Amino acid sequence: MTTSASAANAILLVGHPNVGKSVLFHRLTGAYVNVSNYPGTTVEVTRASARFDREAMLLDTPGVLALPSRSDDERATMRALLNESSRCLVQVGDAKNLRRTLTLTALLAELGLPMVLALNMHDEAAARGVVVDTAALSEELGIPVLATVATGGEGIGELTHGFGHAQCAEALLRYDPEIEADIASMAEAITRLAPHPQIAARGLAILYLGGDSVVADWLAEHAGESHPPEGLPSGRAQLENLRKNAVDRSDGDLPALLARERTEAADALAASVIQRAVRSSPLLSQRLGQYVVHPVWGVPILLGVLYAIYQFVGVFGASVLVGLLEKDLFEGILNPAFTHLVNALTGPGWLQDLLVGQYGLWSMGMTYALALILPIVTTFFFAFGVLEDSGYLPRLTVIANRLFSLIGLNGRAVLPMVLGLGCVTMATLTTRILHSPRERLITIFLLALAIPCSAQLGVVLGMLGGVSFTAVLVWALAMVGILLLSGFLAARLIPGRRIPLVTELPPMRLPIFANVLKKTGGRLKWYLIEVIPLFLLGTLIMFALDKSGALPAIIEAGEPLVAGWLGLPKEASAAFVMGFLRRDFGATGLFAMAHSLSPIQAVVGMITITLFIPCFASLMMMVKEQGTRVALAMVAVIVPFAFFVGGLFNLLLRAVWS
Amino acid sequence: MSPTHEARLPLAFIPPGSEVRLAALGDEIDPLQREQLTAYGLAENRPIRVLQQRPMTVILADEVELALEHAVARHIWVEKLALAV
Repeated sequence: MTTSASAANAILLVGHPNVGKSVLFHRLTGAYVNVSNYPGTTVEVTRASARFDREAMLLDTPGVLALPSRSDDERATMRALLNESSRCLVQVGDAKNLRRTLTLTALLAELGLPMVLALNMHDEAAARGVVVDTAALSEELGIPVLATVATGGEGIGELTHGFGHAQCAEALLRYDPEIEADIASMAEAITRLAPHPQIAARGLAILYLGGDSVVADWLAEHAGESHPPEGLPSGRAQLENLRKNAVDRSDGDLPALLARERTEAADALAASVIQRAVRSSPLLSQRLGQYVVHPVWGVPILLGVLYAIYQFVGVFGASVLVGLLEKDLFEGILNPAFTHLVNALTGPGWLQDLLVGQYGLWSMGMTYALALILPIVTTFFFAFGVLEDSGYLPRLTVIANRLFSLIGLNGRAVLPMVLGLGCVTMATLTTRILHSPRERLITIFLLALAIPCSAQLGVVLGMLGGVSFTAVLVWALAMVGILLLSGFLAARLIPGRRIPLVTELPPMRLPIFANVLKKTGGRLKWYLIEVIPLFLLGTLIMFALDKSGALPAIIEAGEPLVAGWLGLPKEASAAFVMGFLRRDFGATGLFAMAHSLSPIQAVVGMITITLFIPCFASLMMMVKEQGTRVALAMVAVIVPFAFFVGGLFNLLLRAVWS
Repeated sequence: MSPTHEARLPLAFIPPGSEVRLAALGDEIDPLQREQLTAYGLAENRPIRVLQQRPMTVILADEVELALEHAVARHIWVEKLALAV
């Protein structure tokens, strides 16, 4: 999946967010990428060999709201267009939103790459009374136009056949004569100074004049290499001057003018190929979608959804399934049998301890990973998959917007936060869908501080659910309060202004059971591959610390903090040491000693470990997205803050809950 | 019975259930956000159906359902379509 495309063999899937590119990618390659019913699921380019031609490499690119690129995910797509040797471009469009689709086509057509247009979701278009004359559209554009329903596999054969007939598209428009003159001058300069091996100079000129920063960088890099005759400005300066003059002539409004003319051209073409039946009443999915964001019903529906998740993950997963696996299977059957086998093979000694002792690879590492965490994350991933595919999550941005405005963000930040409940590492990457560096910084900080991942969430629900519903409620309110307070302070400390929310609400859909199962399976596979080795490594470290005498020393040293300030048994220090590797590993350590904790200790322990730094993989992702300095600064704030808040709750709860 | 145009009103003031036509995107809207709105299909003369105004303005433009904060919807100018008698 990660090999680079060979010469001119890349087929790029490009299109708006949430039009089904990743489902189509899966259909065409067999490779699974995470797909959901909300924009921004794909934030990086993914590659895989095509099923229909093993020589061809398919690239699934992040959705672009528009080109020229403005956001990080759009820039990733633009880089793929510039840097890959493309055999052809497949624009995936939403059949029911043809105007929008053709607005993007109007720009892609100028790139001079062979193209195919896949009009996806034409079943949804038909349900809304929208019929597109694909033959007429194909004739107008001069490229194959195929109707597909990627989720149902309709039209995939015709589409792959269409790849062989990909053509450079006819231009949809000629811009205003003055703008055309600027485009022509720029295209001539690009041809002379920085020609692209595949992309037409005119297309690059339109993108550059429209303010695409990725194209600007590419041109600066390549034109900078050309050596002008003495007395002339460098290639880069010539291009910059041309652009500046063109922008000045348009009173600084050139990008908007270009976009508006493309929109008008797309409007005209769409009107000529669409037939729209008059619909008497909104579809059930539309009415349901409106109830979910309704000013009165929205919040009760949200609470109902949260309660259903609690019942499924916290009660069924963390109590029923964990009980079956941990008590009945592992403690009742597997662990005694394994211990017996090890005793028989090795006899008493350090090897026996290493495998089945207090910090044994099997008795601790594998038991934690498989008996305690696996059932919890399985139920969580399933519930999360249902929510993702239903189209509920984007509507959550509307419900959460006012709350998030208190912390200097808009409702869009709820998506990475909710994704963080699945996996903080992936959620950190997903912050790329946010529009400003300030929003990304605040969101990444809050993810690292106060959003528990699925494994940890499950352990918390399992442990505190065993105490009482009040304990769960206290922990949840504490987390929300800390999230809001920290966000409020961060928003005031980090300069910049808040961007008001504008977001698309995709249609509500009935989740497809097979897709949810596939997605759950894919995430579980990733979980097992990532978590089991880390749990084993963590157990090994604990074993080594214990045998070397360091762990008792750490427990003694940590006593004033853990026993004195947090009010926990001093042995809980071991769980916090484990928490440095993965905080869910640490939480599981506390879970394992739940029988010896009072309700207050259980809540304080869970609050402290939830606020702890996330796993090592998350830390690496924070470094990747924000740089080492910022990531380390966050860790330096988070670790003492976790203990500080934990201690405060210890004092508070003892005062009011004894 | 042909439609006539009324005065321009901010989108945020239009009651749910109304059909309006987009007149202009105000200069107060951030340029990047204006581009974003254009990309969503909000162009002059496009018909818009207002679905709700609380907690945010939710509209249907073609088949695209959009949620807009009032800070943005206040600066989107629309003309309410009325039937001439």
